[in-house]
Amino acid sequence: MEHPILFISIILEKLGLPIPHGPVGHGLVEQLCAPYMTYTWFTMLFLVVVGKLTLGNLEMVPGKGQNFWEIVIGGMDNFFVENMGRDLADKLFPMIATFALYIAVANLIGLIPGFMSPTSSINTTLALTIIVWITHHIIGIRANGFAYVKHFLGPMPVLIPLMLPIELISNFARLLSLSIRLFGNIMAKETLLGILFMLAGAYFAPLPIMVLGVLVSLVQAMVFVLLTVVYFTQSNEHAH
Amino acid sequence: MSKMSKEMIHLLGNYGHIGFTFVAAIFIGMGGGIYLDQKVFDDRTTPWFTFIGLAFGIAAGFKSLFDIIKQQDKD
Repeated sequence: MEHPILFISIILEKLGLPIPHGPVGHGLVEQLCAPYMTYTWFTMLFLVVVGKLTLGNLEMVPGKGQNFWEIVIGGMDNFFVENMGRDLADKLFPMIATFALYIAVANLIGLIPGFMSPTSSINTTLALTIIVWITHHIIGIRANGFAYVKHFLGPMPVLIPLMLPIELISNFARLLSLSIRLFGNIMAKETLLGILFMLAGAYFAPLPIMVLGVLVSLVQAMVFVLLTVVYFTQSNEHAH
Repeated sequence: MSKMSKEMIHLLGNYGHIGFTFVAAIFIGMGGGIYLDQKVFDDRTTPWFTFIGLAFGIAAGFKSLFDIIKQQDKD
């Protein structure tokens, strides 16, 4: 209902591939053809092709395309170094920058009629969040060794039975809050746009929501990246 | 990026998730309690682990708020 026309699904259907009618299909092929999967691949393809086209060969004096990417990548690098320090930022830059670009493009793509945001499905956002969550534990264990357990034990030994469940619960809450915030914001944007298109699309009713949608998309991508950076920094430092 | 919007993003990142984290902590605590009651102990301990989990969940929610304040003081 939310997405009256999804052009990749239509093309795949014409090619004879099964398109699931619910949010997730039965069987492997149908699951691979679900809209959030096909549009994820579309986003990946878009990023790779645009990157290749604009950065075909690097030059000392940058042209238009290279200038744009230098500003984007340089800005992100400055931001990470400011928050995480040089070492950690260098180690994790490829991962977090990929997340930032992917989430930003995936959010914005839903504003074009005929497209859908892959991040408006809980599957995509939960997958991203699980990667971040596991990585921040790996960083903590690599940086602190066995002393990483102290992160979960509270300030003094007497309080361990009380603090251990509390710390574990608030750690798992990160998993839930990070994924559901991104999913909720983008799904709300998509649903609102779809409903407004159906009700009064001919009178440009969705336009104000689209302006807000651009803002929400960029802000949510930035918030996701900022929280990722904060979690990585927290697990990297020594326990108090 | 101008200084104003940078500060805005920092504020959004630090405080925008307060509500969600609080609720998520309570849900996970109570969900864990219900799971212990119904699946692990087969309804023999019915109300107790749910309440204990709820209490721990609320405590974890407040602890995450406390962490946000502490982190803000450090910056």
